[in-house]
Amino acid sequence: MSERIKEHPILGVQEKGKSVKFTFDGKELEGYEGEPIAAALKANGVMVHRYTRKEHKPRGIFCAIGRCTDCVMVVNGVPNVRTCITPLVEGMEVCTQYGVSAKPFEEQ
Amino acid sequence: MKRYDLVIVGAGPSGLSAAIEAAKKGMKVVVFDENEKPGGQLFKQIHKFFGSKEHRAKIRGFVIGQQLLEEAGEAGVEVVLNATVIGLYQDKEVVVRKGDRVEHYKGNAVIIATGAAENMVTFPGWTLPGVIGAGAAQTMMNIHGVLPGKRVLMLGSGNVGLVVSFQLEQCGCEVAAIVDAAPRVGGYGVHAAKVARTGVPFYLSHTVVEAEGEDHVTGVTIAEIDSNFQFIPGTEKHFDVDTICVAVGLSPMSQLLKMAGCKMEDDPKRGGQVPICDPYGRTSLPGVFAAGDVAGIEEASSAMIEGRMAGIVAAEYLGYIDEEELKSELASLDEALNGLRQGMFAPQNRGKAIEKTEEGIDISESLLKNGYVADDEIEKYPGVTHKTGIHPVIECTQNIPCNPCQDACKKGCISIGSKITSLPIVVDDSECINCGMCVASCSGQAIFLVDESCQDGTATVTLPYEFLPLPEAGTKGKGLGRDGKVVCDAEVVSVKSMKAFDKTNLLTIRVPREYAMKARFFKVV
Repeated sequence: MSERIKEHPILGVQEKGKSVKFTFDGKELEGYEGEPIAAALKANGVMVHRYTRKEHKPRGIFCAIGRCTDCVMVVNGVPNVRTCITPLVEGMEVCTQYGVSAKPFEEQ
Repeated sequence: MKRYDLVIVGAGPSGLSAAIEAAKKGMKVVVFDENEKPGGQLFKQIHKFFGSKEHRAKIRGFVIGQQLLEEAGEAGVEVVLNATVIGLYQDKEVVVRKGDRVEHYKGNAVIIATGAAENMVTFPGWTLPGVIGAGAAQTMMNIHGVLPGKRVLMLGSGNVGLVVSFQLEQCGCEVAAIVDAAPRVGGYGVHAAKVARTGVPFYLSHTVVEAEGEDHVTGVTIAEIDSNFQFIPGTEKHFDVDTICVAVGLSPMSQLLKMAGCKMEDDPKRGGQVPICDPYGRTSLPGVFAAGDVAGIEEASSAMIEGRMAGIVAAEYLGYIDEEELKSELASLDEALNGLRQGMFAPQNRGKAIEKTEEGIDISESLLKNGYVADDEIEKYPGVTHKTGIHPVIECTQNIPCNPCQDACKKGCISIGSKITSLPIVVDDSECINCGMCVASCSGQAIFLVDESCQDGTATVTLPYEFLPLPEAGTKGKGLGRDGKVVCDAEVVSVKSMKAFDKTNLLTIRVPREYAMKARFFKVV
């Protein structure tokens, strides 16, 4: 997890919850319990959260505070989950959202 | 339906401040906030605040957040989180969504303290992953401990753009450039200067042509614009970046007030659609008040005072205090707020090009264009003096409401006087004891301790340093000028990190004497 800030000159070492495993498009990743799903994905280098329905354009984190809905994904089978404000839980299944589905467009 | 004396929407600086005041007067107060944690944006603010003692100056934003939460707890304020207020109806009926449930509440009085949302600009590629709001960068790095990117271009040179650029550098990101379509830096000169001296270039009168990348940002092209905001061909500049951070202002989140039927107006000076209200937040609807950024974009320090005002007027509205008490309490808050609304960045001066300081000194052109005061301009300012032995050099060149430096020096070396926006001066015949408190207390990181009289033809410069890794004494490197370019060899003589400095380390470097007034940053090269 190279994109984590290990020590910060002002905030010191930020406390984290326990390490948990979750899946992103079926691939197992690690994150910290309770942190936003988006933070865990970002720490793992994931940039694209979804592709838009009409033009199939990529979207990722934009506002990070639950306002813009750019970062929504399919989480545990539920689409349109705002990953920037939804806490990560052990075993979560997080999938790239294509339109409003976890299935790539060619399979829809 | 549950009834409260006072329902407050938003647990940020103004909402919490309002709640504390109202609860102290004996009111039953509830604060709803849509977020998982209270404090609004305060917990993302890791810099020291400006102002004076009464405005909690030189305290870092997140610490102020902790203080407010403690005070709210002691006052018996109920804060309900993960609770989104989705409606404000007739007779102050407040509709709150919690998870997948909707609950109804009634407030005898209601304070809307919902704050503001970030503005955006569009350009080709603006929807690519990697284009983020400056607030998103702050949230990721300062709350979640995740790097927003490795190499970042900042669009916007207002205080948010400048402060976030510095914060990005603090957490280990590289800031490739700060870009602004305006011809002048929008934020405090001291914020710009502390970023510029680390080597970040400023491009004013420039904006983004295009964000590049297939699935995410891999680069960006900017170009200069003319006075009609049209690109000037041939001025394109390319940067390899993975992140573009957008900091182009804020808009009040005033929808609830509009929904409730408050009279609204469009006021560009206050940031957009705002309620028509008196200075204490009384809207056109009796018992509905507005406080903080929702009533006009300012900053957290004034939001806290506005919140307190709204809490007090709500208390009077419901008869918890009488008119006399109201008047006396508001009088002292008026004074505090007025103190913050002084100087060249005051709301009434927004958009004005100010050419001279209150003292009649020319404002540095270079500061407004490049983010730093040029070497041939710096000696014009009253805090920049020469003396035998160690002495403070105060590179504070704009009238902003801030005075912690004056209180920091127990030897009386620094004076601002009674007018909080005056430029600090070095008092004649005062004796600097090299304690470093002024350096650590300056929220703008604009004070240096300089000794130009070392025996061996060298000088020492003590500068504020808030980066990791912290160099050790004996480390050899380069002295950087105000423009962030290498000016000379430098060696670290000492590093002081005291509790009273609150995480601002004091780095003393030795440089050739002729660079005493030029070297302002240290880098291991």
